[in-house]
Amino acid sequence: MTESDQPDNTDDGRRFRVTLTRVLLVQVVALLLLGWMQHHFSH
Amino acid sequence: MHALDWVIVVVWLVYVVSHGLRRSRGTRGIDGYFLANRSLPWWAVGLSVMATQLSAVTMIGTTGQGATDGMRFVQFYFGLPIAMVILGVTLVPFLHGARVYTAYEYLERRFDARTRALTAFLFLVSRGMSCGTIIAAPAVVFSAIFGWSLPVSVAVIGLPAVLYTMVGGVQAVTWVDVKQMMLIVVAMAAVVVAILVQLPVSPGQAMHIAGAAGRLRVFDFSFSLTNTYTFWSGIIGGTFLMLSYFGTDQSQVQRYLAAKSIPEARTSLLVSAYWKIPLQALVLLIGVLVFVFYQFDRAPLLFNPAHERLVRHAQPAAYGKMESRYALASTEQAAAARALAQARDAGNVAGESSARARLTAADDSVGTVRAAALDLAGRVSGESSRDVNYIIPRFVLDHLPIGLAGLFIAAVIAAAMNAISGELNSLSTTTVIDFYRRWVSDTGSDRQLLAISRAATAMWGIFACVIATYAANLGSLIEVVNRFGSFFYGSILGVFLLAMVPRARGIGAFVGLIAGMAAVGAVNFGAPSVSFLWHNVIGAVTVVTVGMALSVRPARA
Repeated sequence: MTESDQPDNTDDGRRFRVTLTRVLLVQVVALLLLGWMQHHFSH
Repeated sequence: MHALDWVIVVVWLVYVVSHGLRRSRGTRGIDGYFLANRSLPWWAVGLSVMATQLSAVTMIGTTGQGATDGMRFVQFYFGLPIAMVILGVTLVPFLHGARVYTAYEYLERRFDARTRALTAFLFLVSRGMSCGTIIAAPAVVFSAIFGWSLPVSVAVIGLPAVLYTMVGGVQAVTWVDVKQMMLIVVAMAAVVVAILVQLPVSPGQAMHIAGAAGRLRVFDFSFSLTNTYTFWSGIIGGTFLMLSYFGTDQSQVQRYLAAKSIPEARTSLLVSAYWKIPLQALVLLIGVLVFVFYQFDRAPLLFNPAHERLVRHAQPAAYGKMESRYALASTEQAAAARALAQARDAGNVAGESSARARLTAADDSVGTVRAAALDLAGRVSGESSRDVNYIIPRFVLDHLPIGLAGLFIAAVIAAAMNAISGELNSLSTTTVIDFYRRWVSDTGSDRQLLAISRAATAMWGIFACVIATYAANLGSLIEVVNRFGSFFYGSILGVFLLAMVPRARGIGAFVGLIAGMAAVGAVNFGAPSVSFLWHNVIGAVTVVTVGMALSVRPARA
């Protein structure tokens, strides 16, 4: 492990929360779009 | 196919092989051959991860599934973004920071040699077999459509990938993956445009026709252990499957081990987290649009031309009757689709509702006739009669303009090569690092090890090609590929989860692994209706439970 790779727990935790939020947000938007598509075109 | 299309295919093949060979310059040791000297940028690794997973099965099988079954297959990938985030903070830093060549090498450091050997062996068996089925998927279709013998199809698809992977290692694999991913996305987008241009209705009306026939139904919120494609099996079973696949399968792990640093390795996985579901939805949407196209331009009753010829020759009277019934049903289907489009144009709500009901009934009638024809084809040919894998290739060859058909066929071969090359490279790495260097000899020079690694790649390439010629009739190719893995995946994931628990010991990991596989085997044979997506959950949970139970340290005196 190089020095720059050394995990800093606080930084890592914050970065993880930001990433998790972003990924979940993108996924929720994708699911909402798919849900809208199903509802709008199937009825 | 037109001569120009063949020129496009050949030019692309020559280009990628020469590009792969060019990228191999400078590879002088196994660190370069297996890990690109840990020098790859995140975006190249990210595209390579996606490319390795996007095989020809996706290009022809999943698109076909979109045409027959609609969009619900996308639920299978709902767990992927969650899995990628979890891996980014757990296994990726563990494995990248450990400076290992393979995921299994790490297990010896953490537990013992037998756990490493067993997991590596299971990987070699399952990946070696699945590599064969990945070549077989497009090879079977190509031989039926172009009239080639199966060994010729296998050679056309398999040998270029074996060549550049053998010579160039992970450098060649990654950079060729990047180029081929671009071709695949361009080809898919071009196909969508070509279909929309040829449709006699607007894109909005096409979507309403697809929706009326149930092809845009994405979500199924029922909780069922036997139904593979539900929201819950995608979120829970899918998360475990993706954790296993991206976290413990060397064909994926090796991609991000080649990244420059831990943050770059993490970011590379997020490329899939963001793009996999939209890309998979696009793949399925192509199939849905092809379904709409065939509402107005009658589709063949059997898409597999070889089966069609066979049935027409062996059972002309029975097949003739089916064709008459099919003609009536598809004429009604076309009329209902036109009526739906006209009713929407006129804002006629009652007319739209009745046209939807007509379309649904006509789709059911077409489905019934096609099921009977497939059954007949199965009895006459003695082979699996599912011709879902032939829908898109037939459409491409019959209806796409000159040039675009060649582009799509090149993209199918590209997708196959991406998957094969990544897997061959990882099979060779595991063979050399986890077996040859560990058990046979660790005294050879880097140059000797490089030669052995290239020989191992060639050996696995030949093995995969041989398997491909026999795996041709194993039924639904998508399920076969996943089924091979699901026997071991969850259990291997369980071992890696145990590795992160400080209290866990080698005996717990080894016995837990065996118990996990036994549990999956028992479920598979005792309750075969349980969907394979749940096997990963069962395997991982069993390994962790048994492993922790056996890891209780004796009390100190």
